Amino acid sequence: MEMLGKIEKIAGGKMHAKISVNMGNEIHIIPQKAEDFNALIGAFARSGFGLVSLFCFQPHGKGFRLIYAFEKQGYPEIAVIQRDAGISVPSVAGTFPSACWYEREITDGFGIRFDAAFDRRRLFLHDAYPDDFHPLLKSFKNKGITAKSEISAEEEYAFKKVHGEGVYQVPVGPVHAGIIEPGHFRFSVIGETICNLEIRMFYKHRGIEKLAEDKAPEECVRIAESISGDETAANAAAFCIAAEKIAGIKIHSRAAHLRTVMMEMERIYSHLGDIAGMIIDVAYPAGASPFFIFREEMLRANAELTGSRFMKDAMCIGGVRKNPSNEALSRLSSRLKDFSSGFSGAVKDVLSSPSVVDRLETTGVIRKDLVAALNLSGPIARASGSSRDTRIDHPYGIYSGTAFAKRVLHEGDVLARFKLKAAEIEDSVGIIRELIAGMPEGPICEPAKIPDGSAFSLVESARGQSLHWLSIRNGVVERYKVRTASFCNWQAIEHAVIGNIVPDFPLINKSLNLSYAGTDL
Amino acid sequence: MNVLSRIFGRKVTENFRDIGFEEAGLALKKEIDTAFGRSLAIRELDSGSDNAAEIELVNLNAPHYDVERFGISFVASPRHADALIITGAVTRNMKIAVEKTYEAMPSPKLVIAVGDDACTGGIYGDSYAVLGGADKVLPVDMKIPGNPPSPAEILRGLLALMKKIREGSRA
Repeated sequence: MEMLGKIEKIAGGKMHAKISVNMGNEIHIIPQKAEDFNALIGAFARSGFGLVSLFCFQPHGKGFRLIYAFEKQGYPEIAVIQRDAGISVPSVAGTFPSACWYEREITDGFGIRFDAAFDRRRLFLHDAYPDDFHPLLKSFKNKGITAKSEISAEEEYAFKKVHGEGVYQVPVGPVHAGIIEPGHFRFSVIGETICNLEIRMFYKHRGIEKLAEDKAPEECVRIAESISGDETAANAAAFCIAAEKIAGIKIHSRAAHLRTVMMEMERIYSHLGDIAGMIIDVAYPAGASPFFIFREEMLRANAELTGSRFMKDAMCIGGVRKNPSNEALSRLSSRLKDFSSGFSGAVKDVLSSPSVVDRLETTGVIRKDLVAALNLSGPIARASGSSRDTRIDHPYGIYSGTAFAKRVLHEGDVLARFKLKAAEIEDSVGIIRELIAGMPEGPICEPAKIPDGSAFSLVESARGQSLHWLSIRNGVVERYKVRTASFCNWQAIEHAVIGNIVPDFPLINKSLNLSYAGTDL
Repeated sequence: MNVLSRIFGRKVTENFRDIGFEEAGLALKKEIDTAFGRSLAIRELDSGSDNAAEIELVNLNAPHYDVERFGISFVASPRHADALIITGAVTRNMKIAVEKTYEAMPSPKLVIAVGDDACTGGIYGDSYAVLGGADKVLPVDMKIPGNPPSPAEILRGLLALMKKIREGSRA
């Protein structure tokens, strides 16, 4: 535990903090006084720790406990600063910009105010929600509520105004022109060039976290699957891993293999959709068609493997629910081998077209320094020079024994994301075929009784790091916190589009492949 | 890529011809010809889905299914639409957008709920953030359940709706 030593060094000396280890890989730090907290936040920022999540819960239904989760490249553990909060707390968004959305989320959910926060607008509660309504408070029992019938001009969401000669606004959404999820984009444009973009999300806020509360853990796998349909396997696995950590069980080897096969299949079909979409968005349907065909074949392979094209209802706490035969698995393996050669040919085809490359290259650049500031993860981060990959940084399941190298590109543009996703598809094919070749026999599910306790789990979905925190009390879920990669990655789009033209926005958006459902919860 | 080989070579779509789907599609085409005069324009609206239903709706236009052959097109504006497909339970934050989208459609108009959550509210029963299934906000003409329904199931649901309309207009 090198990280423990590092933290003791940081927190030692003048600071007073209680340090403990939970679940073997979570280092919890409770600063004693307000000034210790402030000093610790500053020291973490200076030592290169990144804020990966910030949320609130009410232990035993009383008071407020804020949880600041950090990771540091090169250390498999996560560091967690905990503090009790009154009705107002100092904002850390000035030090860790990624805290901005988290703090707004906590204010909506619990009514806690963050002092000196630079943005205090509502986040997931839109204008129609009543004042003083905070759904994540334990005192609120989940039920339908009466919304405001009228919304005054002051209560309307205030977008940032950009002034100047020739500047005009283009409002887009929440309902878009294609078959896409809803969200609002407010562009400020000069001529065709975007000089500012502000996004407003959470139209699809379904109350996922509250929905899980007071339910038996096994009922919540279905809820985790509904976070984002195309991240079904990743989020179901993340939820199950958290519950299994609390229960202290290790799933059977065959189950661990099958789970990983499912998660990598998800990565393949998700990336295929992005690649097809990017080529469609540069108006080249003939080039995109092979990728749509491949994706359909992958969805059908999923159905053959698990009975569901999106691998729904395939996982359970303690393992997996579906046990494909070894013949079905070897069919999948040879199918993937054929796919792989067809796929690389199709990629070569589209990238040999100068008009495609011209649209992708230098478009929608994300600078590397945004990765830490906004906690970006997944292919977006890896196409911008970061090597973050949860499968390698915080190995879970059987990734520690799987041989694959990190892929990193540095340009940060749409082309880099295209190439990176194409390469990751090939890697996933390799991982799945290796897993199938070494597939052990044995049981697929270990029944588990889950005692009281709490645990984090981190999983690399197709979009990046999905962080789940589960707290169980008296056999039911006390609090379930989910932070998908999209929640953070969405914020990068506001930076990626600056200086680009409006017609390139759909292309940039597709290359980032952000989940609205996974953000809005 | 060689354009000539694309034009004169074997068509890729020959590799995955699904007889059952083709038959349902051709039956749907016939029904649309009768009930709607050749084409059915659909506007898709996500009112709070988990996005899997959207993926299947997009797939209807992909090479395996390619439903434009059967007279179905997905249009960019509700003003061009004969039918509205709603996916997902209706969230409180989407209520106004759902109502405005429906209002923007010319009459007569149809509403089709696609997926369990749009059909019944699904797992979101008591959630503070959700109003319920699509029929809590709009008059729904056809429900196509599933988590999510497959492209073939969606196509069969559309076929059932067209038959219902034809039979209704005769009655």
